[in-house]
Amino acid sequence: MLADQTTADLASSPLETGRPEARSGFAARLFRSPGGIIGLAIIALLVILAVFADSLAPFSPTRMGAGRRLLEPSWRHLAGTDEFGRDMFSRIVHGARLTLKIGAIAVGISLAAGLTIGLIAAYARGIVEAVLMRLSDVLFSFTETLIALACVAVLGPSLENAMVAVGLAGIPYYARTAYASALVEVSKPYFEAAIAAGAGPVRLVLLHLLPNILPTMVVVATLGLSSAILAAAGLSFLGLGAQPPAPEWGAMLSAGRDFFNRAPWLMLYPGLSIALVVLAFNLLGDAMREALDPRGAD
Amino acid sequence: MWQFIGRRVALGVLTIFITTVAVTLLIHLVPGDPVQIMYAQSQGTTPEQIEQIRTSLGLDRSIPEQYVRFVGRLLEGDLGVTVRGRQPVLDLLLQRLPNTLALAFSAMAVAAVLGLPLGFLAAYRRGTMLDTALMTLAIAGVSVPHFWLGLLLLFAFAVELQWLPVAGTGPLNLVLPALTLGLSNAAIVARMTRSSMIDVMSQDFVRTAHAKGLPKAMVLERHVLRAGLVPIITMAGLQFAAMMGGAIVVENIFAWNGVGRLAIEAIFQRDYPMIQGFILVFATVVVVMSILLDVVYALVDPRIRRG
Repeated sequence: MLADQTTADLASSPLETGRPEARSGFAARLFRSPGGIIGLAIIALLVILAVFADSLAPFSPTRMGAGRRLLEPSWRHLAGTDEFGRDMFSRIVHGARLTLKIGAIAVGISLAAGLTIGLIAAYARGIVEAVLMRLSDVLFSFTETLIALACVAVLGPSLENAMVAVGLAGIPYYARTAYASALVEVSKPYFEAAIAAGAGPVRLVLLHLLPNILPTMVVVATLGLSSAILAAAGLSFLGLGAQPPAPEWGAMLSAGRDFFNRAPWLMLYPGLSIALVVLAFNLLGDAMREALDPRGAD
Repeated sequence: MWQFIGRRVALGVLTIFITTVAVTLLIHLVPGDPVQIMYAQSQGTTPEQIEQIRTSLGLDRSIPEQYVRFVGRLLEGDLGVTVRGRQPVLDLLLQRLPNTLALAFSAMAVAAVLGLPLGFLAAYRRGTMLDTALMTLAIAGVSVPHFWLGLLLLFAFAVELQWLPVAGTGPLNLVLPALTLGLSNAAIVARMTRSSMIDVMSQDFVRTAHAKGLPKAMVLERHVLRAGLVPIITMAGLQFAAMMGGAIVVENIFAWNGVGRLAIEAIFQRDYPMIQGFILVFATVVVVMSILLDVVYALVDPRIRRG
């Protein structure tokens, strides 16, 4: 995630979510921002590529061909071919599927665990709160890279393990944000009213806290998708994630660097794909944040 | 002030403590037999040798015993030896650490030198074309993967233009890795600086300063800049940690001989003593640096100095 977006910033945004007019205001503001629209367009393209990869890719992503090694980009091979004669365009199209899957699983893990920890800490207070949040602080200070590397070191290099590693590494950040947002809600009159009305812990957390911090967490998760995709591609680039012949963009970039001089397109297109997708989620996340909290917007 | 430093040091000690526990447990979380996995790559290890290694790593004892043994040896500066080569882990790491620190600090310098003025400029010219252009550049900079930017810079400056060496560990070799790591962070710093300065510019005390007729430059320098820098300095510790993390990847692109390269090699070779040592050294460096940076922050912000 973008390091410039502090937990407190998001948590303090006065979100009015329950009312329909507030929600339509959100959509209107989102669609008025050029960044948000560009982000959504790129993400839509990514989803289309991922869903229809089999029909959109002109060739198999893994079929090799001795006669067409390291071909320059042409009409037949839009992004050229790699050292095994595989069509790079087809590999990039199939890579979209892996990229979405990696992002969804990693962010899913971070979000589910982070929400649980943050909500429990904000609701329970006392010793539970102290232990959970100090632990999150400690893990947060380790940086995501170190946690992800440690996880891969334990589990061994593979695409699945990289997804889990990136997901686990994100938990402290999501927990801190969920906690900070939930703390704001706990201090509001409606929450006290719900307690006074006799709502039990499950009802308080799931029906009162969760829906109210969800908008913030959706923004965090959107920005989180960009950093998760970036981190997983980084692991694959280092050889610790996706293994050959998987058409994963980071792994493709890493393989392409051996042909640096002869075939620069091998490192151009996978890198560009990662950058565009990361940019899209960053743009959308930024636009969503501003649409939720118009104070910061121009 | 002392209370603040005391709290930070306490959290730091807690962090190191949790790291030592995590590092001891790490080897037990490995699915399967870690010793078998470690030596799977070397041929002809007999079952007797495996048992001997298990004993020498202390894996035949209970986990609390192992922890006490690990910490005891740690206090003597002994982090064990590597699986292959049987070299002392701590010596290898400490030998390479200055290179990683040099990379992290130069990247931070690049980020500050570019990010602070550009962010300030964007805030000052808020809403203009310049602001839009700078912020577009910044979000693009945040999104470009280090490892791709590194390859592109390598291709442009080392291969095509041949201005700089391709790989190695010397002063000139530092330029490209530091730029790679620094540029994407400059984008983050610029975004933070802009939003912090905009926050400050809209505050009452700035309006008062303008209203009482202070020259614009003086308002910016005395009021806006000073107040606006505080939240940015707060982030310096996190930024340093991020630079250390980024260095692991960037070192591997440019064959820069830092601890990151040792770590990646160790993960490939399943060299658990080295992995443990790396995590511990990395965490310690990050903790110590962030405490130091927080103390600097406390010195800058009188509100914390008092409290």
